[in-house]
Amino acid sequence: MAETSLPKRRTTEGPPRASGSAFLRLLRRSESARAYVMMSPTLLIMTLGIVVPFVILLVISLWTRAGFGFDTTPTLANYARSWNEPIYGTLLLRSFWISGVATAITVLLCYPMAYYVAFHVHRNKMMWIILMTLPFWTSYLLRVFAWKVILGYEGVINSGLMSAGLIEAPLSFLLYSPTAVIITLAHAWAAFAILPLYVSLEKIDRSLLEAATDLGDGPVARFFRVTLPLSMPGVIAASFLIFIPTTGDYITPALLGGPDGAMIGNLIQLQFGAVNNWPMGATLSIVLMLWIAALALVFLLVTRKVQGRIT
Amino acid sequence: MDILDQLGAVREGKLSRRKFTKGLLAAGVALTTAPLPARRALAAGGDQATYFTWGGYDIPELFGPYQEKNGALPNFAIFGGSEEALTKMRGGFVVDVSHPCNQAMPRWVQTGLFQPIDTARVANWGDVIPELVDLPGNDAEAGKVWMAPFDWGQTSVTYRTDLVELEGEESWDILWDPRYSGRLGSLASGGDAWWCGAIKAGVDFANIDTPEAFDKIAAVMREQRPLIRLYTDDTTTLEQALSAGEMVASMTWNSSAVLLQTEGVPVKFAKPKEGVLTWVCGVMIHKDAPNLDRAYDVIDSLLSVETGHFMINDWGYGHSNSKAFDKFDDATLAGLGLSKNPVEILQAGHFQQPQTQEWETRMNELFEQIKAGF
Repeated sequence: MAETSLPKRRTTEGPPRASGSAFLRLLRRSESARAYVMMSPTLLIMTLGIVVPFVILLVISLWTRAGFGFDTTPTLANYARSWNEPIYGTLLLRSFWISGVATAITVLLCYPMAYYVAFHVHRNKMMWIILMTLPFWTSYLLRVFAWKVILGYEGVINSGLMSAGLIEAPLSFLLYSPTAVIITLAHAWAAFAILPLYVSLEKIDRSLLEAATDLGDGPVARFFRVTLPLSMPGVIAASFLIFIPTTGDYITPALLGGPDGAMIGNLIQLQFGAVNNWPMGATLSIVLMLWIAALALVFLLVTRKVQGRIT
Repeated sequence: MDILDQLGAVREGKLSRRKFTKGLLAAGVALTTAPLPARRALAAGGDQATYFTWGGYDIPELFGPYQEKNGALPNFAIFGGSEEALTKMRGGFVVDVSHPCNQAMPRWVQTGLFQPIDTARVANWGDVIPELVDLPGNDAEAGKVWMAPFDWGQTSVTYRTDLVELEGEESWDILWDPRYSGRLGSLASGGDAWWCGAIKAGVDFANIDTPEAFDKIAAVMREQRPLIRLYTDDTTTLEQALSAGEMVASMTWNSSAVLLQTEGVPVKFAKPKEGVLTWVCGVMIHKDAPNLDRAYDVIDSLLSVETGHFMINDWGYGHSNSKAFDKFDDATLAGLGLSKNPVEILQAGHFQQPQTQEWETRMNELFEQIKAGF
């Protein structure tokens, strides 16, 4: 093709004006200024809705409680407390443990479901997805209460096992324990696992699987060498979508956790309630955020390594 | 409409995401707009007063007179403990009427968030038992009061008589008994639990604000923590657990025992040898109450004889209206552990004393730590 050079476009000045304001001139000249103006509604909402509250949180975490007000001299005393006192570290570890196990269980259980709909369902895919996510159209709180009914002392599981004669006394560890929290979280967040996994499995090019078969891979090897690595973005997305919110979950441990199942979210809520130490609550929130970011980074690096190893 | 087309598309497997979400949008719009006329009719007469109270008190039986006058129930907001309630209101939560107890009342007054109650506007004021009005810190100037007393009662152990083997007399030790580890319960609020711990530890309430008291009570609460199945603000959960046998004993208010006995569950509200915890609670009006007239209606309703009958008969709580006791003979009252003369019952137990804000904050922080396992 002939190299036709387009005439260099002169940035137009527009119709000559007697007094063009500096702003309008800047807009006409600079593309990035135009871009920012176009994005300004979104930027405004983001700033007001996310950045400003975060800055407020940060500032409050540097204050300390004084009676019912704040002592506004900036200090890192709260952060030092959150590092030194064992209660915060233990609750953080317990929260990460509970949500980590819940994430792993959810992704492991939802992967086969998403796999089936992506690969073995050819008609009515939309219907299948709707049916699988239908239970999650109800309120989160109601689902947690439903699990209370199932796991309760006279609940479905205990009555069933007792009438089948398998146990004599109801199992007491099913409710008001970390186990109850893990079970409930694994179910309540399943929709957040199914959809990303389904999307990423659906996008896999079927011809790659055909090629793998032609080149001699059995179904298992084909899964591990083609499907799994290509669906890793979905696995990572699902894991993040479940891990990050559940770490700070408050309702499930409050209703089902009992004294041993309390998570960091409950402690943060107490700081803003009965304990009345808002700076500490803000500090714990930021500490939690930083830890989650660190863990997410580690997870990302690990999965990247694993992906490199498999492919 | 193309609903039939959509359903047909589903059958043929051709439902597209766009069509589906369009259908959802149509359904959502239909649902939100359809009942609108009916909802407007229900909200006749403007806003109802908001009553900020302990869990379990948000029931229609307490508001018969209010409903007759205003045609609907007041709005309810619930708290688990008075410290939590105060923090919420200090954070800007405005209600009309709240329900603190005598121990918290001076601290609540100190915050400046409340207005004195004009007793001339309260219909039943003449029948209110005067000893309940005359609590420390209740005097506002010009004959007004800060808190109109509403109910009084006890906190003690409710235990299953068929599941608990008492060794000797009834005692708070039931809740510290390692034989029933994992089958004991407690109300979560420090406002009850800490004081019961003080009774168990033998700390006199006059000395509760000393370092030794804090150490002793903390030790006792830490000892109890591994035995507790659940700390909750919800009395219904404790009652259900006791009736199912999931718990054998729990620290509750006297209403739980009365309710369970009415249902035929073999429980008893203990009279421990160390003494019960007693309290008087009442209502205070917020300084910026948006519905002041309806707030006084709430108070009238709570102090009415009708409500008093319910409180005494169904829940076993004392009521502040002396006429409410007329319906019951002395034997019934004695059986419920009540009397027309509240002072003797309140003094027979350990009556909660107001403390400073610093004490309250420190106690709550320490108790939450102990509950978390530290």
